[in-house]
Formats: sequence, C-alpha cells, structure tokens
Amino acid sequence: MKMSYSLYCAIAAFSLFLVSCKTKDQFAGADGDFVDGMPLPERTDGASYLGGGVNKGQFSPVQFGLDSVEVSGSEMGKVQAVADFMRSSRSDVIIAGFTDERGTEEYNRGLGERRALAVREKLVGLGLGGGRIQTVSFGEEMPVAPGGGEAAWAANRRAEIGVVR
Amino acid sequence: MMTRAIFALSIFCLSAAAWAQDAPTITVRKGDRVSLAITPLGGPAGPAVTQVLQNDLDLSGWFQIVPDARGSYVVGGSTGGGSLQGKVTDSSGATVLAKSYTGTDREVAHQFADDIVETVTGNPGIATTKIAFVGTASGPKEIYFADYDGAKARRLTTDRSISVAPTLGPGARFLAYTGYHEGYPDVYLIDTATGARQRVVKAPGTNSGAAISPDGGKMALTMSKDGNPEIYLTGLRGGPARRLTRTRGVESSPTWSPDGGELIYSSDQGGSPQLYRIGAGGGGGSMIATGYGYCTDPSWSPDGKKVAFTVRSGGGFSVAVIELGGGARVVAAGQNPVWGRNSRHLIYSSGSRLNLLDVQNGRTTTIVSGLGKVSEPTWSL
Repeated sequence: MKMSYSLYCAIAAFSLFLVSCKTKDQFAGADGDFVDGMPLPERTDGASYLGGGVNKGQFSPVQFGLDSVEVSGSEMGKVQAVADFMRSSRSDVIIAGFTDERGTEEYNRGLGERRALAVREKLVGLGLGGGRIQTVSFGEEMPVAPGGGEAAWAANRRAEIGVVR
Repeated sequence: MMTRAIFALSIFCLSAAAWAQDAPTITVRKGDRVSLAITPLGGPAGPAVTQVLQNDLDLSGWFQIVPDARGSYVVGGSTGGGSLQGKVTDSSGATVLAKSYTGTDREVAHQFADDIVETVTGNPGIATTKIAFVGTASGPKEIYFADYDGAKARRLTTDRSISVAPTLGPGARFLAYTGYHEGYPDVYLIDTATGARQRVVKAPGTNSGAAISPDGGKMALTMSKDGNPEIYLTGLRGGPARRLTRTRGVESSPTWSPDGGELIYSSDQGGSPQLYRIGAGGGGGSMIATGYGYCTDPSWSPDGKKVAFTVRSGGGFSVAVIELGGGARVVAAGQNPVWGRNSRHLIYSSGSRLNLLDVQNGRTTTIVSGLGKVSEPTWSL
C-alpha cells in the first residue's frame, strides 16, 4: 500500500513535470500566450504610415538579415535613438516592416510585421510603453532599392520608424 | 507545319509518359480519357457556344475530342434567344443527358460542360467556377475577377493603394481581400453580385491573407493585434476573432479542409516556413514533413487528399503537391498554387501569367496574361 502510494506520487509528479515542460516550450506567457502580454494599441485616427499624419525619415531604418527577424547588436544604436526621442517626446510611433522580394507575398507580409514587432519589443525592453508603439507590414511592397541583387535586397529588409504628428 | 505539329505532339506524349513514371501516385493511362464527339450546335449562337463548350470539355482533361460518330459519347444541341438545349447520347444512341440552360453564350456553355463532365465521369466540373487574382495593369496592385479560363477578366477594385491576397467563397458570391486603402492592411469583403464593399477586419497591426471557409460562413486569417502574426478565425463579416495558433514565429496563408474542421497554414516557428495542420477548434499545430526547406501558400484540395504549396529553391519558386500521408513532388515552376473544385487542376502564377495546370496529365494552359504582373490567384468552389 505504501509502495503503491509512493509510486502514484512519483507518476503524478512526473506527469506534472511533463505538462509544465510542454507548456513552457509552447507558451511562455500568461493565458497560454507566448507573447509579452502587450497587445497592440488602437490605431490613431487620421494617422497611418501609408496615408499620412506621420513624419517619416527622422530615424535610420533598422536592417535585417535574410529571412531573419532578429535585431542585431549593430542595429541597436538605431533603436536606442528612437527610444531616446520617445523619452523626450510625447509622440507615438508607427513601425513599418518590409522584406526583400525573395519570399512569397503573404509570408512576406507576416515577416514584415514580425520585424516591426521585433523593433517594438526592443523599445519596450528599453522601458518604453507598448501602448505608444503601433506596427504595420508592407511585406515586399515599396522597396527602397528597386531591382534585384544582394545590396538591394539587404536595403529592402528593414523596419522604418514613423512619428505620429 | 504538319510535321512540326506531329513532332510537338509526340514530345508531349513522351513527356506525359515520363511524368507517369516519375509519379507513382498519379498515373496517366490512355484509357483515362473518354472519347467524345461534338456536333456543332445549331441556332444563332451556335458557333460561339460550341467554341466555348469545346474549350471547356478539352480543358477538363477527361475527354479525347474525336470526329463525329466515333465518340463513346456525342454532344449536340441547339441555341436561340439566350438559351441552350443540350443533349448527350452514348454510342448506342441512348440519351444520357438532355437539359435546357439560360444565360449568356459563355454561361450556358459552361453549365452544359459541367453537366457533361459530371454525368459522364462522375467528377465535378470547373467550367462554371470563377477566379480572382492580383494584377498591375493599371499601375498599383488591384484585384481582378474572371471566369476560370481567364475570360471576361475585369478589375474589381480601384483602390489605387495596395490590394492583394484575394479569397473567393463558395459560388464566388463573396470575395475578401487585403486592402491598404486606409493605410493599414485590413480585410475587405465584396459582394460580387451587388459590388457592395465593407471593411470587415480592422484590428491594430496587420490583418491579411484571409481564407473563406467551405461553408462560406467563416474566415481564417493572419492578425497581429495580440503582438505576433498568428492565425485567427472570425466571421465572414468580421466580429470577434478567436486565436488559433500560439508560437513565436510567423503564421500565414491558412487553407481550410473540405469539411471546415481543420486548417493547414505556413509557419516559421522552427526556422524557415513549413506547413502545419491544426484543428479549427484549437490545439497545437503539427508539422507536415514535405522534404522542402521553404514551404508557403498551402492550398488544400477539395477532395481532402493533397496540398499544393510554393517551394523556394535557389533563386526561384516552384509549385509542389504533397499527398497527405505520402510524398511531395514539384509539378511546375511558379508560385501561389490553388486547387480547382475537381482536385485535378491547379492555377498558379508565373510572372505576368496565370497558368492552369492539369496535374493528372501535366498539361499547362496560360489563362491570364497582359494584365501586368499577376499573382495570388484564388479559385471558387
């Protein structure tokens, strides 16, 4: 009886361990979500990266590697500049993500969004409020460097920062 | 000239034979095609309707069109006043199909063609279906709408921004697409019968790549409102969105199972994009091993047996097909494949062309060209 009780406990503990492992692998956050628990803020009326009400070109675009959504260490200075500006200003920002042309269209829309969100996560990591940062993806549309070639592709893999007026 | 034609035909036959050897799961046998004779239809619209009908029956892939009286079946009939009286007899002279149709020349021909395919082969026809796609003939990316064979193509949107990722619901009554009209990618719904349009999904972030469910009542799409691009389910006209996937990666391009109970989508949660399968009720996605390193744009065949998708290799894209539970193979150079309702034909994009591919016999027909760069076709059930 005592043996079987211990065995039961061991099995129960092991099962819980398995469950928690699985949960941790798939979902790192609360409520089963992996994300940092920061939904995007509502859009600002009258302001969009494509439509207007946004100052573009104030900051250098954050560049990305092929098929990558990682903000590399060498790009962090650009993110820091945005963070410094946001601390000294009450303006919100819209981060627009872009890809090169070497993917399929719809996946690139997702990839561009993920790049914009990666920059947003860095800004939040630097202490900025996620509620001030919107994102949008244009995928492979609106390349800054038209045509092909490694240099053009590298230039097009970017996240641009727009300041809401 | 004749010699050249015969030579080309021989090459085609040889290719078809080679194809059959490479693809053990789908074999081409001469006996697969039913011989069929078409007697030119009488009446004022006879020549026009006959031409469309012959093209439909030829493209269907099921028939070998032969001179009169030698066919296992003989198609005939008469036209007049926006109607068609169609008739099909078998080699014994017995009537197997006799039906009246009303509509335009193309409409009546398409309806008759689909009835012939269904009556003779038991398979669904594709002649009455519609397609939509992205074209750049007017400059920016806009949505175009056409018959399945590319005829009657017309521009559906005049947004002058970026209009992409169309999806047609059953019967082509509704079309949803991703539009940047208001500066953000949102999902718009067009009633193709009335032309009425409404913005149905406009959450913060990116809303894109909708797929209308087979019953026409729901949409699956990518949304990023909760902080990551994930697959969500919502109503045809929007409403509350339920999150289906939960990963660190990018989820995109959901496609429905025929019964609407499952979805297949592309996810790069493990690095490069791969295909995953998930229940519409939730749970975790399970990867479908294709053997290819970059797989996007899945399209689940209406018979539920296979999935077409885009593969990236080297500097280009290929269209591949995987039999669920079996192997995958490349069937064409191009991208954005989508199945027809017969689960036999694919439409895919290749630069400035949309091609119709008969996966069973390998025949490719260009159905759209001259509308700029064309991409992201969708095909109604």
